[in-house]
Amino acid sequence: MAGGDRFSFLGREFLTWLWFESERSGGRVATADGEYGVDFAQRLVLESGGTLKEGSSVQSEAPAQAQEARTALRVGKKVAKARLVLDVGDKQFTVNLDAETLALSNAKLPTVLGLRDAAGLDERVGLLDQLEAVVDGLYLHFVRLRKTEQSWAPVREAMRAWVATPPQG
Amino acid sequence: MGIASGSVSYLRFVAEPVTEGFEERFCEAMYNHRFMEIDPRSEVEKAHGWVRFDDAFSGEIDPAVLVPPSGQILFRLRVDTLKIPASTLKAYVDQAARERAKRDGRDQLARKELDVLKLEVNKQLRVRSLPRLQLIEIAWNIHSGEVRLFTTSKGSATLFAETFEKSFERKLQYVGLLEVLPLRGMAQEEIDSLSLIDAERFHLIEN
Repeated sequence: MAGGDRFSFLGREFLTWLWFESERSGGRVATADGEYGVDFAQRLVLESGGTLKEGSSVQSEAPAQAQEARTALRVGKKVAKARLVLDVGDKQFTVNLDAETLALSNAKLPTVLGLRDAAGLDERVGLLDQLEAVVDGLYLHFVRLRKTEQSWAPVREAMRAWVATPPQG
Repeated sequence: MGIASGSVSYLRFVAEPVTEGFEERFCEAMYNHRFMEIDPRSEVEKAHGWVRFDDAFSGEIDPAVLVPPSGQILFRLRVDTLKIPASTLKAYVDQAARERAKRDGRDQLARKELDVLKLEVNKQLRVRSLPRLQLIEIAWNIHSGEVRLFTTSKGSATLFAETFEKSFERKLQYVGLLEVLPLRGMAQEEIDSLSLIDAERFHLIEN
C-alpha cells in the first residue's frame, strides 16, 4: 500500500536523522516552516534493513538515552518506529510514527476547546492538520537534505560520528 | 482510535478533486451504497456500506448541509459480520445430534444427516444472534482532497478504498513516503532525483 518499497529506507533514515538532529540541537529542530520541540518517548523500535529484519525494541521514559538504543545504531540498525513528543508553539502532540508508511497512530492531541459537538470535531481535525504539517515538514526538510550529495555528505559524516560516540552519562 | 475522542490513529489518502454539483452526487452515491443490514435468514456473513457520522443506522444526508465551511465531510463505513463461531456451532450441533439420535433410538447420526443438521442449527443460531458491528470513521476534506481513514488495519483500508472509488467515482491514492512529497510542494524534478540515492550506512566510518 505504501508508495514505493524501493524507498522504504527513507522512512527509517528520516527517524534516525530526527533523533540525531534533536540530540544535536538540544531538542529543537528547525525547518523552513518553523522550529519544533522534538523528543522521543516510551518506545523506540530499531531494525536492520534488508529482507531479514532484525529488531530491537527499547522501552523507557527516555528511550533515545538508553544504551541499548545506541548500541543498536552501532550495529547498523535504524529507527523503524518511534513515539514522538512534538512541541508546536504552545501545543504539545504525542504520536507514534511508523517509518515504513509514515502513518500516524495513537496520536494524543492537545485539548483546546474540548467540545464534543461539530465544533469540537472541526477543532480536532484542525489539530490533525497541524500535526501532519509538522511531521511532513520535518520529513520534507530531511528529504531535501538527503537528495543531493552536496547537502547530505556533511550530515552523513556527522551522523556516523554520532553513532560511533557512546552517549553521555 | 477515531476522530471523535481519545487518541487518534489513521491512514492518509488523497482523492481526485470534486467538481460542480458534487454535494448532490455525493449524497446520492452514499445513499445508493448505504449500509444494508444482513438478513439473518440468508447465508450472508459480511455486509458493508456507508452510514452517517452521527447515525450508524442511516445513510441519508441532506446535500444542503453536507459540506461545512471547513470543507470537511465526516461519514462512516459500517461493516457487519454475522458468523457463528466454529466452537459455538459445534457445541450446538453436538447437542442437537445427541437429542435427535436419542429421539430416533440410535447411537449416532449418519454423516449426511449431520451435515444437514449443521445447516439447520447454523440458521437457528443466526436468527438468535446479533452481528458484530464495526464503524470506521472517515474525514474527507473536499478543499484539499485529503481523506483520512481512522483505522490502521490494512484489510479495512483495502475495503474502504474499493468502496470509496466505486461509490464516489473518484480515484483514491494512498499517501506514503513518496506520495506525501508533492502534496507538500516538492517539485517532480526533485522527487525524480531521489532515484539516484540508495540506503545509507551510519555505522561505518570510512577513512
